[in-house]
Amino acid sequence: MASEILKPVAVLALWTMVMWLWLYATRLPAMKRVKIDAINMVGSTGKGLREDLVAGGEVKASWVADNYNHLHEAPTVFYAVALALAIMGGGNGMNAKIAWAYVGLRILHSLIQVISNRVVVRFALFALSSLCLIALCVHAAMAAFSG
Amino acid sequence: MEWCSFVRNMGENAMSTEILKPVAVLIAWSLIMLVWTVIVRLPAMKRAGIDINTVVGGHPGALDGVVDAKAQWPAHNYNHLMEQPTLFYAVALLLAFVGMGSGLNVMIAWGYVILRIAHSLLQATVNIIRYRFLLFALSTLCLVALSLHALMAVFH
Repeated sequence: MASEILKPVAVLALWTMVMWLWLYATRLPAMKRVKIDAINMVGSTGKGLREDLVAGGEVKASWVADNYNHLHEAPTVFYAVALALAIMGGGNGMNAKIAWAYVGLRILHSLIQVISNRVVVRFALFALSSLCLIALCVHAAMAAFSG
Repeated sequence: MEWCSFVRNMGENAMSTEILKPVAVLIAWSLIMLVWTVIVRLPAMKRAGIDINTVVGGHPGALDGVVDAKAQWPAHNYNHLMEQPTLFYAVALLLAFVGMGSGLNVMIAWGYVILRIAHSLLQATVNIIRYRFLLFALSTLCLVALSLHALMAVFH
């Protein structure tokens, strides 16, 4: 194994795929309940679908999809930085621990957003995970520029 | 940069770069969709009476319901290409790095990229959701397989 940091990277990637399955498991039945005609739909967007579901009273049905979308935001920076650290030989020790913390916090963030969606808790988890990401970015920049 | 350890890593598990071909193709395709977006959107904005020289503070979705619905389709797809494919890039680069970017994984990666290109063409033209959903679901199954292989590779 070349780099310990690739383990949390792979775990978060697969977690995103779990969220993908979860989002269909919740959203498709909700679309059916609201009687959205998915078969004959043309040119919709995720945003439009979300609004239609909320209008039909299915507020929680989009929470999993919301989190799935979030997993394609800050984590994309995490993947880039973690892969950069791995390539530079800086993906072990402290950086691997920080990466595990990032992934653990993001998984908790997903669970909170899907289950209770209390924004203050979500915010705390997101802020903490972003501090991990800042540390990794600084370490990557240091590794890349230290010659 | 610790080039010594980099070279040592390379020795332990030789990188396999075949999987970088579909990665490069999807990146190039995303830029083609960006060009398509601009070509369709600028005339549509003009038709809607928007003067791009005076617009301040645009945001994603701001033109939905303002310009022709169809003129937004390539842009919607371009946005989608900045979503899930970013996970594909991470997983594919990981697989290349640990020496698993060859053979079956390359075929799956090509499957992902071809399905995403078909998804783009569909969304930018007819945009029939039941087909788009099918292409998206199939491509995501490819990504699920690659993610699983990545997990197996790093914990092996």
